[in-house]
Amino acid sequence: MTATPLERAERRKAWAFALPGLLWTGLFFLVPFAYMAMLSFWTRQGREVVATWTLDNYVAFFEKAHLFKGLVVSLEITAAVTVISVLLAYPLAWIIAERVPKRWQRFALIMAILPFWTSYVVRSYSWLLVLSKGGVVNQALLWTGLLSEPLELSANRTGTIIGFVHFFVMLLTLTIYANLIQLSPNYRRAAADLGANAFQTFWHVVLPLTLPGIMVGAFLTFVLCIGDYITPQILGGNNELVLPQVIMLQLGRRADFPMAAALSLVLMVVVTLAYVACARWLKMERT
Amino acid sequence: MRKTVSAARMRRLLLVTASAALLSASAASAQETLNALVWCDHTDPGLIEPFEKANDVKVNLKEYEGTGAAISIIEQSRPGDWDVLVIDAVDVPRAIDMDILGEMPADQLPLADLFPEVRMDETTTKDGKVYAVTEKFGYNTISFDKTKVDPADMEDLSVAWSEKYKGRIALYDYYLPMVGLTGVGIGKKTADLTEADLPEIKEKLFEMKKVSRQVSDVVASQTALATGEVDIVIGGGEWLTAGLVAEKPNLDWTVPKQGALRWAQSIGVFKDSEKRDLALKFVQYIVSPEGQARLATSSCYWAMPANAKAGEHLSDAQKAVLRWDRQPEYLKNTQLYPVADADLDAAMQDVWTEMLQQ
Amino acid sequence: MRRLTAALSALYAGLIYLFIFLPVVVLVLFSFQDGTLPVPPLNGLTLRWYEAVLSDGKLMAALGNSLLVAVLSSALACLLGFLAAYAFARYRLPASALLRGLLVAPMTVSTLIIGLGLLSVLNVTGLRLSLVTVGIGHVVINLPLCFAVIYASMGGHQVNIERAARDLGAKDWQVMALVTAPMLMPSILAAFFLSVTFSWDEFIVAFLLSRFDVTLPVEIWSMLRSGLDPKTNAVGSLVFLVSVAFLLVMELAVFRKSGRSS
Repeated sequence: MTATPLERAERRKAWAFALPGLLWTGLFFLVPFAYMAMLSFWTRQGREVVATWTLDNYVAFFEKAHLFKGLVVSLEITAAVTVISVLLAYPLAWIIAERVPKRWQRFALIMAILPFWTSYVVRSYSWLLVLSKGGVVNQALLWTGLLSEPLELSANRTGTIIGFVHFFVMLLTLTIYANLIQLSPNYRRAAADLGANAFQTFWHVVLPLTLPGIMVGAFLTFVLCIGDYITPQILGGNNELVLPQVIMLQLGRRADFPMAAALSLVLMVVVTLAYVACARWLKMERT
Repeated sequence: MRKTVSAARMRRLLLVTASAALLSASAASAQETLNALVWCDHTDPGLIEPFEKANDVKVNLKEYEGTGAAISIIEQSRPGDWDVLVIDAVDVPRAIDMDILGEMPADQLPLADLFPEVRMDETTTKDGKVYAVTEKFGYNTISFDKTKVDPADMEDLSVAWSEKYKGRIALYDYYLPMVGLTGVGIGKKTADLTEADLPEIKEKLFEMKKVSRQVSDVVASQTALATGEVDIVIGGGEWLTAGLVAEKPNLDWTVPKQGALRWAQSIGVFKDSEKRDLALKFVQYIVSPEGQARLATSSCYWAMPANAKAGEHLSDAQKAVLRWDRQPEYLKNTQLYPVADADLDAAMQDVWTEMLQQ
Repeated sequence: MRRLTAALSALYAGLIYLFIFLPVVVLVLFSFQDGTLPVPPLNGLTLRWYEAVLSDGKLMAALGNSLLVAVLSSALACLLGFLAAYAFARYRLPASALLRGLLVAPMTVSTLIIGLGLLSVLNVTGLRLSLVTVGIGHVVINLPLCFAVIYASMGGHQVNIERAARDLGAKDWQVMALVTAPMLMPSILAAFFLSVTFSWDEFIVAFLLSRFDVTLPVEIWSMLRSGLDPKTNAVGSLVFLVSVAFLLVMELAVFRKSGRSS
């Protein structure tokens, strides 16, 4: 099929519009990524990076327990954060969508986002003020007599998870809310007409219909959580390291770019697997 | 069409913001600049501004932690990017081997005024040429809250792995002095450390990890000590607590009987600097008595100045916090950082990371 | 029963909001801490840390840098995103799905990887790290978002209006700038402000790709690395208050208006 001159002109125009963005992504995302993939097969020997084309870095990742454990810790923390955040956020999203009067819903959402408009770094540190032994939470609990000894809430995995859940409860509330308000009340009415009680309606109608919202939110949580460096670095007390912390150590302390690249690719593969698992819910649709 | 109107208004607003930001950013870029790679104590405006004003220059500072990090930054740069380097004195030979430091004229530096113990000619000079000059020194030892622990216990490094203070100890997160200090604790001299010593040190580090609450950087250690989260910081010293004692007088530090580690920073000029005269001037300022007094009490951490004449510019209170008069005994009972080549350095980092992941 | 659910709902929402607000309230509270230790217990209240922040040249420069990078990188990301969205929504391009996938791909990659990749390449090219390199990184992060948001809002109903404009003799760029863009302004603005928010608070790319001139999160990070300083709480609170004010203005001026007229 040959294109008419008009079609060709149209196509040229289309390319002219699409190219700047495509080039930018290609040049500053694809090329660096390809370069990094290549780098991961090189090695650092002494103070030189040598083009060795070996799997040494990947072998080291699986053989050296302190590197591999970074991935395990990352996965455990991310899984816990994702599940806890969904469980905490869903009821809140439901309350805002169903119980809060329409004209106050927007306000309720803005209030949920508000605390995140401060610096991420400072916010993480202020969790230390909240969670430490002499911090607000422990002082309050000791004062009420619920506790006799302060809880160890920071400088460990608990601290990291609390810091993460804080952010992702907000994010998930937004995505689940967006899904809930799109549900037509007719579904529920129909379910009620058919004799379903409130729980059955929720379990068989509302929940399946909001699953896409949950999955989109959960995937976002997974990606952002597993790639984050700040929260575990500040709240984890270095008692265990997540993969991004291990990557930053390779960079900051010894400039081992090949090793950092290899570890990044591992991280990338994990995220891709998660994407494949959620892909059916993540289709980008045009309205 | 209301949308277009508000959109136009938005555009104008954005343009104004952007241009205001641009103007403010470009206003300060006219003078000559000096690029220095430093430890964080050099970023105190109280230290830098007098030099900037006197010479009408802008000093750009990039801070780092640990020689490995500095070397990686330098390797990522091009010749001429940097003018001044602050580096651990024991690592100057590494920098000389990399051929990045330039010679400085000995007669223009107050070498004779330095405390003799920290002049460290054996590392800062080579073949009679001066490549760096010591500017500040202190100790990686034990900081503690004397109202919560028995100070007598702090006189023995084994407290770092004893069960007595389980859960009340923070370890300073810098592998180099910590590996050295642990070695000192089990009777190894830092100067003789080799990879063969690491398994033994690793075992002790793992024990230390078990009884510790956290492994933390400067601020997290300070926060933990000040809030009572922990009562002991292994690897701490005057640099960790000096800034806090005004409000927390119960914080203290000591050098235990086995000894401790001594750190010494030195400053030099890059060989490829395009502004070597100005860079030398900066070095001269930092090691002058006034500069030394400011550096000793700069905001990031306090520590002893290398130039003995700085004492004239420090108040008695400042000297008391620095423990000016007790330096001879500390100097005698402390050892320098281990000197590690690339392989030993990597091995020590692996040990440290393994300890973190325990 | 109904009342019980209502009470439980209120209690639950209250607890979650308490959780969400806790660190910020504590942050603001301790920004007034009298004394040089920004840690509990609270000794007394003072404004001096705010004064200290406002007279801190480095912090203020970092704030200016952050604003500059956020606004310019977001504007560029929106422009590129809009053009690409227009191309994919209005024309038929070969391998359209694949190319759209490429455009949104950076969204599914951790920022650490984006930053690390750019840093490795920049090392080879010898380009010096600066605010420009940070900006490049931020456009990479925000372009997928801008493209997706704007592309999603390009519906068929605008095509007729564009055709009408073309029939009346408007050139392509005129149609785009004077018809399409204004119609899509709510989503373009939404994309822009989302980008600004991300860029403003982005740490890891800004940390890896900057040298002397740094953005606010990086400056705060190095402050926090180098010694306890009550200024960090004050600057965090200031950022919070300014952002909230900004959000309120946006809410009142832009979104409410556009919400009403559409």
